[in-house]
Amino acid sequence: MRTFYLLYGVITLGILGMAEYRGWSLYSVNEVKNVPRSVRDNPGSYRSVYSVYHHYTGGK
Amino acid sequence: MSTGSPNPPATPHVKAMNCPGCGAALTLRSFTQAVTVVCESCHSILDAQDPQLKILQQFKKATDEDPPLIPLGTRGKIRGTPYEAVGFQRRTIHVDGIPYSWHEYVLFNPYKGFRYLTEYNGHWNDVSTLRALPTLNSFAGAVSVSYFGETYRHFQTAQASTTYVLGEFPWQVRVGETNDVTDYVSPPRVLSSEQSGKEVSWSMGEYVSCRDIWKTFALTGDPPVPIGVYENQPSPFSSDTKTIWTIFAAFAILVLMMIIGFASFARDEQIFHGDYVFDTNSRGEASFVTDPFELKGRTSTLELKTTTNLGNNWIYLNYALINQDTEKAYDFGREISYYYGYDSDGSWTEGSRNDSVAIPTVPPGTYYLRVEPESDFGHGMIHYEITAKRDVPQFGFFGIALLALVVPAALITWRSMNFEHLRWAESDHAPMATSDDGGDDD
Repeated sequence: MRTFYLLYGVITLGILGMAEYRGWSLYSVNEVKNVPRSVRDNPGSYRSVYSVYHHYTGGK
Repeated sequence: MSTGSPNPPATPHVKAMNCPGCGAALTLRSFTQAVTVVCESCHSILDAQDPQLKILQQFKKATDEDPPLIPLGTRGKIRGTPYEAVGFQRRTIHVDGIPYSWHEYVLFNPYKGFRYLTEYNGHWNDVSTLRALPTLNSFAGAVSVSYFGETYRHFQTAQASTTYVLGEFPWQVRVGETNDVTDYVSPPRVLSSEQSGKEVSWSMGEYVSCRDIWKTFALTGDPPVPIGVYENQPSPFSSDTKTIWTIFAAFAILVLMMIIGFASFARDEQIFHGDYVFDTNSRGEASFVTDPFELKGRTSTLELKTTTNLGNNWIYLNYALINQDTEKAYDFGREISYYYGYDSDGSWTEGSRNDSVAIPTVPPGTYYLRVEPESDFGHGMIHYEITAKRDVPQFGFFGIALLALVVPAALITWRSMNFEHLRWAESDHAPMATSDDGGDDD
């Protein structure tokens, strides 16, 4: 049990160190490839995957 | 455990004898050291010290009513000394009207004398009589005894009666004989006192695994699986618990050092800042791109903070972090909303004016942001600021790591506590009486 916990802890800290060093985040984003260079001149030509977002109009 | 002291050693010699009750041949394995011997045929308890083998008691029991797990005459080495099983008795206590029985085996070596084994529900103890008296302690109602520097906690006091006997005994055994038995435990040992009239005898038992008993006496078949937790059964978790919390403390210090290290060495560098206004009254194209900015160093996080002046309104920002050279984009959206007011419960707020998000594993390069704000039409101007920071430590991971480390340690502690709970549930000091604390539960 002790050996298992020791190994488990070392692996956990290893993953933690890797996560911090490599810049992992709990937030995930969509990666889009081949974005046309024309977006810089015509930002409206880019279609975000979130562009049809249905927002929450909150308030109590 | 046993009563009386064994007689001094004598020269071993075999006696050929017959039971005066039924005439069956008797085998006397402990030679002249036996005080009583029980005929296996008619269950007459005979005076082994009397040349005529006077019948002391007869009891009616079937011979196979309670067969010993270690057949009488079986030999085995305990702590390097060969012993032979010469006697067997069953003893019973009643707790709340329920009988609980255990078995005791008398072992004999002509040079070392007698030794005993006890068995209850597959739990075994190697027992020998004490040569010195333990010291009785009583503090704040808790009774314990000390013996050679070790403290034994009181476990149970009960009246035990002998309900079945076979073979030879170094004391005047009788079926129906009763003694006050008190056990004090310090796993894996137990100290037992037996009081019969004014005579008190003490013995010490040490927990032995079932498998070891089977191996010692070369018994056939598989040993029975122990049921429940026995009074002096060593906990498989107690030493682990202390060690694991020590290891956890070491890991927690390491995590703290990592927090300090990453917080100190992270670039945490602001690489972009822009102030913007979104006119919700305008129906024109709202999207725009920022000036390019350089992300230096190794692959790491990019933290994007959005600060607004929202009031009872919302804004949704479609973000795309686009690499100018590779034409690869990180596409994501953030909703920011902030509402406030006052009602019968008092003032209230909901949401936040600000937002922060860490984009994971962004390689170095030249990037720009494409931003497309959305909101309800006709709510005026929304001011917002965008700030990008490079290589910001993600402290949430440290919390997750600590949680991941504490969960197994807590689980092991809980199992250890549960083991002790089951142990003491069988004692006179049961922590809490529940219907699940049956003695045969594991």
